[in-house]
Amino acid sequence: MVEKKETQFRKRDLFYLVPLWFISLIAPDPYLYHKKGFKKKDIFYLAAICLAPLIWSDSHFHHVMVLAGIYAILALGLSLFMGYAGQISLGHAAFFGIGAYTTAILTTRYAVPTLLAFWASALSAALIAHLIGRPILKLKGYFLALATLGFGEIFLVIVRESAPLTGGVIGIFGIPWFSAMGFSFDTYLRQYYLAWGVVTGLFIFSKNLVRSKVGRALLAVATSQDAASSVGINVSKTKLEIFVLGAAFAGWAGSLFACIMSTASPEAFSLGFTILVVMMVILGGMGNLYGPIAGAILLTWLMDFLGKYQEYSLPIYSVILILLLIFFPDGIGTRLNVRIIYLIGYWAKKRKRDKGKL
Amino acid sequence: MSLLSIEEIIKEYDGIRALDRVSLKVEKGSIKGLIGPNGAGKSTLFHLISGVEKPDSGKIYLKGREISSLEPHERSSLGIGRTFQTIQVWGNMTVVENIMAGMNRRLKGGLLSCGLWLPWIRRSEKEALREAKEILDSLGLLGKWESIASQLPYGKQKLLELGRALAMKPELLLLDEPASGLTLAEIEQLSQHISQVRQEEVTVFIVEHHMGMVMEIADEIAVLHNGELIAEGTPEAVRKNPRVVEAYLIRRSRNETGGSSS
Repeated sequence: MVEKKETQFRKRDLFYLVPLWFISLIAPDPYLYHKKGFKKKDIFYLAAICLAPLIWSDSHFHHVMVLAGIYAILALGLSLFMGYAGQISLGHAAFFGIGAYTTAILTTRYAVPTLLAFWASALSAALIAHLIGRPILKLKGYFLALATLGFGEIFLVIVRESAPLTGGVIGIFGIPWFSAMGFSFDTYLRQYYLAWGVVTGLFIFSKNLVRSKVGRALLAVATSQDAASSVGINVSKTKLEIFVLGAAFAGWAGSLFACIMSTASPEAFSLGFTILVVMMVILGGMGNLYGPIAGAILLTWLMDFLGKYQEYSLPIYSVILILLLIFFPDGIGTRLNVRIIYLIGYWAKKRKRDKGKL
Repeated sequence: MSLLSIEEIIKEYDGIRALDRVSLKVEKGSIKGLIGPNGAGKSTLFHLISGVEKPDSGKIYLKGREISSLEPHERSSLGIGRTFQTIQVWGNMTVVENIMAGMNRRLKGGLLSCGLWLPWIRRSEKEALREAKEILDSLGLLGKWESIASQLPYGKQKLLELGRALAMKPELLLLDEPASGLTLAEIEQLSQHISQVRQEEVTVFIVEHHMGMVMEIADEIAVLHNGELIAEGTPEAVRKNPRVVEAYLIRRSRNETGGSSS
């Protein structure tokens, strides 16, 4: 009897199978070499990103997606450092903050064009990352996490205390809209395309990176540093490079954030924010570049949704995160694929068994 | 001039002398074996050559250049490839990527040019993929080129490690107990590959417990015992050397009744 129950193919499995099959068309699998190049799926994603604001053309959607795009840039940089190089950084929000403040100070105090400030932000974040990365990246695991955490807190204190430059606790207001060559990104729709344009560019850059020798060096460093140095990979240089790159990404994100929110204040770069970005990377799936973007979109919408229930938002938020981590420990994308493969295998075996019986 | 020469190396751990004034030479194009009972200091010597640890005194020369103070990755850039006693393949990459990562030092391109996927990066990637497949083909792993490296069986992972070390085109290849944990058939296969390697003008320095294998493929054998070099010479000479017999073979056959030693 028991066996019979097991072999029974339930028709409702088809209901799971069809959407899952559809998801498997879109969901990327991260590992296989030949799948690391660009695929047709990517055109689908790009089209979805381009068309989404036209289909849902309310300003709220645009605004949330702009934020999601900015967080996606941040998460992308962090994912290179965490997911690929296998290190931990809890100070990433500080680089975001450095980017935002660089843009804020340059544009409001010195009337520098935003496009120039945009590049300067990435540069200053990268420079500071290079300075602190040298000593800090010698640490491993928990110690690295603590050191980067400490760096984030120190940055916050410096920002709060140096009021003449950064405006202290209040922050800096009146940062102009982002504009490039006379074109001002002053509506939410334009900002959407700006943010997601940057995401697309950086995504292509990162994707090229991970399918080239740099990506392989990163993965090698993550698994076995001894083996990595045995083939001539300079472990500390590899880690430093990717840390600096992640910081530059964060600097760009911060610059965009400052232009779009037109303020830069210390609350935006607190520890809570760092944890949020780390969650985006973990939720989306480590070692996969689509993951952090998906995670950023998901968590931004979750925050937006929970904003309606202000008092309860924190516990609800935590419960949702805990549930997601229990059921999707490797990230949402990764887990879905495993389930699809399992189900398709189950279905195929079932068909075979039935034929054998007949 | 010999490819690798080690002079008067001393290494101590907490006052215990793991290596006591060991001097060795590895000639270019040869296969040199290093044997000795457990705890004789073989692995320590390997760590010193590959740079994982630094000697307390003494010098190591590669092609006449002193390398005692270089970092591991600098030494491998100079042409020292190695495999590990416990397998260290990169389980988060596919088999072919493992090999391509092994070519890292030979591929051009930095962060920026790789990210922008400039034409020469594209070409060198294509070339690297082709070459990696060739290496896999010669090792008989081509059928598995797309599977995740950690999913390969143990013996194949050992072969993959060898392939990765070969991919960096080393001049000196250090093999740390390549036969440990392998079946006889796999050892046979491995010896063939190692003999093949030599035809590509790679010098091999091999630490091994499996006496049969070393005696068969090595041109010259050095024997360590309690941190001292007690014998050096051709396999026949070493086998007949009374000190070696005393230190190694007798003890071994006593410990393993009907042991596999030849």
